Amino acid sequence: MRILVFIPAWNEEAAVGGVIADVRHSIPGADVLVVDDGSTDATAERAREAGALVASLPFNQGLGAALQTGYLYGLRNGYDVCAHLDADGQHPAEEVARLLAEVKADRADLVIGSRYHAGAVAASGDYKPTFSRRIGTSIFRFFLTLATRQRFTDTTSGMRAANRRVMALFSQHYSPDFAEIESLQLAVRQGLRVEELPVRMLERVGGTSFLTPLRSAFFIFKGLVVLLVGQFRPRHAEAKQ
Amino acid sequence: MSLVFAAETGQVHLTSQTRIVAAILAVFFMLMILDLIRRDRLQERYSVIWLVAGLGMLAGAAFPGLLEVVADLMGVRNTNVALFSLVLLLLLGLALNFSVIMSRQAAEITRLAQERAIEQARRQAVEERNGSGPSGEQALQAEKQSFES
Repeated sequence: MRILVFIPAWNEEAAVGGVIADVRHSIPGADVLVVDDGSTDATAERAREAGALVASLPFNQGLGAALQTGYLYGLRNGYDVCAHLDADGQHPAEEVARLLAEVKADRADLVIGSRYHAGAVAASGDYKPTFSRRIGTSIFRFFLTLATRQRFTDTTSGMRAANRRVMALFSQHYSPDFAEIESLQLAVRQGLRVEELPVRMLERVGGTSFLTPLRSAFFIFKGLVVLLVGQFRPRHAEAKQ
Repeated sequence: MSLVFAAETGQVHLTSQTRIVAAILAVFFMLMILDLIRRDRLQERYSVIWLVAGLGMLAGAAFPGLLEVVADLMGVRNTNVALFSLVLLLLLGLALNFSVIMSRQAAEITRLAQERAIEQARRQAVEERNGSGPSGEQALQAEKQSFES
């Protein structure tokens, strides 16, 4: 079984090498791909030095486009399962390995690593979300649960594992600037099995969160519009191969 | 265009002078469009709408009664209001049209960038499998450096 682990990275030269080493240690059989989203620092060089494949987008395209690049690479190159995690060191690779195990065992098509799942909160006090993030999280949680009729606790998690059905779907449809939430809604509406798994997350090593209060408000507003529009998309259309 | 300056009563009084100025402006506008196409600054498929707008201006200057007919059809007593509404709606439609075109082009550019990135990673994978090529050498050098340090 061929496994691809990809890491979207934008100006993460300080952290990316450590993340790659962590993945190679915890998921030995996997190919590691760094999707360099138009970084202006030495992210791509650091990634190659750490032994990863590098797909460089010529200019910054946003997280959604970077993730889609990874799914597209997995689909085109015949990988059976894939997973992605953040490049800033928040996601321990051994947790990603657990997500992959779920997909490999065919218990789900798409598995999300959740920081807020009951099991995860009890297991670690490592991750402390900020106030605005907590508000945003609970709003999205409420509306996504309403839209999909399935309970999600961590809607913006960037730690996921997926099989080829998901790769086929996401390489065709993936919102460039509102990736995480819309993709969950889309996957559920297409009849895929989406599952959350409690995971341990850490404080970020490098970089800063892009969320200021004003941007958070805009982010939430945009998210709600996207969810509303998503409800009118066709259901259960076969994902193109 | 010169109809904008018509009397407040709603009756259109066009002097031959304003009609001539409007017609000249319309012709000048269309010539500008044609020149942009000729110099490859504007593609034909995006020029049609502007030429139509120019023809509309010309028609308005040549046949002032036309606007009154349109105003009557809209149920608007004041021809000035009819003119402004029409132009406003036209511009709104054009702006929306441009946003749609822009979105499509943004999606195309993203896919192009992704294809390039994937091709780059695939080539790197092939080179590393063959153990040769520039990327393989780079990896070797990186290993040497990490041994030395």
